[in-house]
Amino acid sequence: MRHVSKMGIMMFAVAVVATAIIAGCANAPLRTEASTSGIRAAEEVGAANVPQASLHLQLAKEELERAQALSAKGEKEEADSMLLRAEADAELAVALSREDAEKTEARAAVERVRKLRQDNP
Amino acid sequence: MKTIQLLILVTAVTLFAGCATTPPQELVNAREAYQRASTGIAAQAAPAELHVAKKALDQAEQSFQKNPDSYKTRDLAYVAQRKSQLAEATASIAIEQKSQTQAKKEYQEKQGKIITQTKQDLSRKRAELAESERSGALTSEQLAAEQTARADAERRAAEALTALAALASVKEEPRGMVITLSGSVLFAFNKATLLPAARARLDKVADVLLTTPERKLTIEGHTDSKGSESYNLDLSQRRADTVRAYLVQRGYPADRIQAQGLGEGHPIADNASPEGRANNRRVEIIIEREAQSSIQ
Repeated sequence: MRHVSKMGIMMFAVAVVATAIIAGCANAPLRTEASTSGIRAAEEVGAANVPQASLHLQLAKEELERAQALSAKGEKEEADSMLLRAEADAELAVALSREDAEKTEARAAVERVRKLRQDNP
Repeated sequence: MKTIQLLILVTAVTLFAGCATTPPQELVNAREAYQRASTGIAAQAAPAELHVAKKALDQAEQSFQKNPDSYKTRDLAYVAQRKSQLAEATASIAIEQKSQTQAKKEYQEKQGKIITQTKQDLSRKRAELAESERSGALTSEQLAAEQTARADAERRAAEALTALAALASVKEEPRGMVITLSGSVLFAFNKATLLPAARARLDKVADVLLTTPERKLTIEGHTDSKGSESYNLDLSQRRADTVRAYLVQRGYPADRIQAQGLGEGHPIADNASPEGRANNRRVEIIIEREAQSSIQ
């Protein structure tokens, strides 16, 4: 009886801990830092002014909202998965903005050389 | 009947198998995106990002194998497509940056050449300016020297004219300045060769005349009335020629002197007296006025 009682206590304790862990995971807040910082970075580099980048910025924002909605419904794994989309779109929006800026700068640099050569044959 | 059942079974199996292996649109897009990126500029310009894209695609493919139609497969495929697009964008950025660097390098090189050329031009201009200033200084010096020389010449001419006035009669007439030299001082009787003393006198006259070598001169020979008119005309011509030759020898331009024998036809005194005849035996040097010489 004494032995059974100890086993029972141990099993109960394990069950409590496991339940607590599972419950903790289920109720853990959605980690949106990577998505939101990615979206903020895209906005800061002027993605809204570059058509293609603007599209991906908008997608990232929508995916973040969907992830939050899924999380609110308790669909945590699906929400996390949706956040990956938001991060990927935000990252792409940054890259497309940079690409546009570099293209503009490169064209200006080539034009400067052309003008210099034209003025100083 | 059995054949129909078999056909239905095969069709059902095929449909089932087909449904089971049909990839979601996200995965199709991801495969196409990776195909495009791996055969495009990203392979050379963004290999690291392309590798990340490949890993993302592999992950999506693995998920597809386990759960073909799950949200996770679709999300992983979606992310894989974005990674391939990211690799392409990164490659494009690298190429544009390279283009910028090349353009900036060319700009700097061209600027360097322009600066070098400008410096060379500047040095040349400075040298030319210095040379110009130096020659300008020389010109000023030469001008000053010429002015001094001209003043000296004028002074010498004035002095010579003063000296000449002591040796010969000098007077202004409408035809020009007339220097009259006595024939008896220049020539022996009935001769057309210069006496030794005459050369000294003519030297002084020549000094004065050579101060204005641009003026035209006329040498006139005159005699008294003794002897025949034709003889006197010839004698006066030879005497005028002798004086002309002497002045040319002294440096006066030959093309600006003419000699003319006028014989006894233009007396300036009475031929009845010895003094009058002495005055009539003469050589006159007429210096034409400046305007007359210039016109000709």
